[in-house]
Amino acid sequence: MSRESILKAVKKNKPESLPLPEIDLSFFEEEINLVETFIDNLKFVGGQAIQLNAIEAMDAEIKKLYPKASKIVSCVKESTLGTISINKDTEPHGLEDIDLAIIKGELAVAENGAIWIAESDFTIRALPFITNDLILIVEKKDIYLHLHHVYEAISKRERTFGVFISGPSKTADIEQCLVVGAHGAMSLTVFIV
Amino acid sequence: MKVGLFIPCYINQLYPQVGIATLEVLEKLGVEVVYPTGQTCCGQPLGNSGYEDDSKGICQLFVENFKEFDYIVGPSGSCVYHVKKHFDILEQTEEVIRVRKNTYELCQFIYEVLGKTDLGASFPYKVGIHKSCHGLRGLRLGSCSERMDDHYSTEESLLKEVKGLELKTLNRVDECCGFGGTFSVFEEAISVKMGKDRIQDHLDSDVEVVTGADHSCLMHLEGLINRNKQPLKVMHIAEILNSSI
Amino acid sequence: MAHADEAAVFNKDEAKVDWHDKALWFVRQKRDKSAHNVKGWENLRDLASAIKANVLSNLDGYLLQFEENAQKNGVTVHWAADAEEHNKIVHSILAKHDVKKVVKSKSMLTEECHLNPYLESHDIEVIDTDLGERIVQLAQEPPSHIVLPAIHKRKEEVDVLFQEHLGTKPCNGDPQYLTSEARKHLRDKFLKADAAITGVNFAVADTGGFVVCTNEGNADMGAHLAKVHIACMGMEKLIPQEKHLGVFLRLLARSATGQPITTYSSHFNKPEPGKEMHIVIVDNGRTEQLSREDFRASLHCIRCGACMNTCPIYRRSGGHSYKATIPGPIGSILSPGIDLKKHSSLPFASTLCGSCSDVCPVKINIHEQLYKWRQVIVKDVPQPVVKKTVLKIAGSVLANSKMYSFVGKSSRFMLKHAPRFLIYSKLNAWGKARDLPEVKNENFDEWYKKRKKNE
Repeated sequence: MSRESILKAVKKNKPESLPLPEIDLSFFEEEINLVETFIDNLKFVGGQAIQLNAIEAMDAEIKKLYPKASKIVSCVKESTLGTISINKDTEPHGLEDIDLAIIKGELAVAENGAIWIAESDFTIRALPFITNDLILIVEKKDIYLHLHHVYEAISKRERTFGVFISGPSKTADIEQCLVVGAHGAMSLTVFIV
Repeated sequence: MKVGLFIPCYINQLYPQVGIATLEVLEKLGVEVVYPTGQTCCGQPLGNSGYEDDSKGICQLFVENFKEFDYIVGPSGSCVYHVKKHFDILEQTEEVIRVRKNTYELCQFIYEVLGKTDLGASFPYKVGIHKSCHGLRGLRLGSCSERMDDHYSTEESLLKEVKGLELKTLNRVDECCGFGGTFSVFEEAISVKMGKDRIQDHLDSDVEVVTGADHSCLMHLEGLINRNKQPLKVMHIAEILNSSI
Repeated sequence: MAHADEAAVFNKDEAKVDWHDKALWFVRQKRDKSAHNVKGWENLRDLASAIKANVLSNLDGYLLQFEENAQKNGVTVHWAADAEEHNKIVHSILAKHDVKKVVKSKSMLTEECHLNPYLESHDIEVIDTDLGERIVQLAQEPPSHIVLPAIHKRKEEVDVLFQEHLGTKPCNGDPQYLTSEARKHLRDKFLKADAAITGVNFAVADTGGFVVCTNEGNADMGAHLAKVHIACMGMEKLIPQEKHLGVFLRLLARSATGQPITTYSSHFNKPEPGKEMHIVIVDNGRTEQLSREDFRASLHCIRCGACMNTCPIYRRSGGHSYKATIPGPIGSILSPGIDLKKHSSLPFASTLCGSCSDVCPVKINIHEQLYKWRQVIVKDVPQPVVKKTVLKIAGSVLANSKMYSFVGKSSRFMLKHAPRFLIYSKLNAWGKARDLPEVKNENFDEWYKKRKKNE
């Protein structure tokens, strides 16, 4: 193990201590409509937003959007469309042919269309990636201006695994042509309640 | 105010008309200008090639030649930048510090120090600006496309006041021309390709005259234009500001 | 071969150069647009730069803090002094679990350490799962860009490659079809992998967690399906606190591709029950770079690739011309620190235009470091005799007014009166494609003296 020698070399070679700057949020504050900005950015990254007046209307919308989906994992009590139930012992490889996963997003970020979800929201870490299509639900009050605020909001969480998701899986590795649907979900629909 | 006229070596030898225009523009503005005849070079060709240590004598001579002036003004952004930035290799005496601080590129001197924009020039042509990199990103003669600052441009501010002149906007507003001093010979292929692409941008933008505040870039572009017989004329910005066509 | 020679070869196909230049300029333009949307972008860059400077100045402390917190989270932390040790550590973890198949998401560090050939020599299959990386892996080439590994390949080339290796149908390079075939091919690899290797974009000292960013979701598909997850990181990837991710994630994707954030920004803190998570912290020359005052800031790099996209030389010479793991401007200041002689032409593959420094989200003074490396190289690496002699003579001539005046006159005389074939000979690289300036009858000196006399 080279641990000691590396640490010794760092100690010897590093410059004199420099201060850690404070993040002054006043540089970044903007008076903008959070919901609209979020929706614009979500579209820009290839996702679609649907605003609902009441969560009860969601299942009907989902059936319209994904009429062929039969293998559905619902991680929210507001949807009754789930056909496959999972728990923490579920083998992730078995989720390979899931059509649709429905997950509650904890927070959303207006500046980049991203939604924060943590392991406790979807039980099996592979789920939001391995599912063919993904639905996230976000409450209007949980949309923040930018990442600085969001990190403060999630600072008290139990840290295991969490992810910001911004749009569906995509790649532009062939001649810079944008193709949606690389390895993760082929589409992302966000219900804003 | 006494100004020392700094005419970089390649302008002195190859483009005397640029030196003349610079002097005349400054005199029109009522500035007392003196050209110290012992001057040679700023040392940039050596520094950029890695031989900074061998250029100390050159830099010291520059300081000797210009130490008595209130301002030192030259028509070449990259040379001025070299004095300001890379004379850190000399012992930082009061003289050296003063010379570094008071050396200005011509447009910057007119705009910032003299506070003038309208020089009474007229030049009825379509003009494209080549924003040389050392002037732009070194001396900050203008905002560059990489940074998210408010737009400004010293050269544009001066050219906008020239009667009859139509300023054209390029597709790539501030890409490098590929001169780069000894880069132009040691990386010949890329240097030529970069120059050709810059020229094409001016042609595509309906430009008749390419100008700029650094004649080394212009020398490179002119060499390509002349070889390829392209319908573009190359002139230093001092020549345009000194025109009354 | 030196960069200039490689670049000359690349420039033989001018249409391809134009295509390559435009593809990358397009990315640069997307970056500009995206950065314009951020209020306080320049403040954000200042912050990021200052945070990184703080990290380097307390790196040992942050490393220890990170290690302690990661261990508390149930993660095993390893330390590797160099590439060889890194590869051995990774292999030993894989061997312990009898791993035969590995899926790997993008990690420039494992490229730097040449991990793939090492594992393959131990009968382990390593599949690069980022589409671009898979393309260059199949083509048996190194990546030519750190964010867009296959940017040098035309879609028709990918078409042929996939027909050969994945059995796809000819499709005139249809990216949609090729990507969907790659998805199927790699889905199978994810499902069968015994272990996953990922890079690390940011490691957070105060939580012991790390963040991996992808657009494709390949890091997550690998890490969440396999029993073992190994994350390999250069030691400079540390940031002090989780809230600093807010700064860096706002900058990273915007600078890289113009996206406001990558599709997935995955925060790993603890392994799932029954699974293992390992972190390998790698030095491999970084502590040495840390000791070099002039070049230390190169360790701020967050690997966004913006300096490549903006570099007029990179765009016209291609990533492979640099013959280095990290090509482009940032590579040209990192590589000489690793092998000065081998990479001695790279700091000269620049006009010092400074675009790289102004585009850099962590404000590395790249072009100033290129200048500084040049000063080091002419002292420490033997230089071509002609170049060296010419510049040294220039040094003494230009320091002497009288000698300069004489040489200036005689050179102009030569330029004016020597026959054209002599001036435009093969030895004159300037004159190959460019005319020399027309020589006037007098220089400025002479004109000025005359004018004074007539006053």
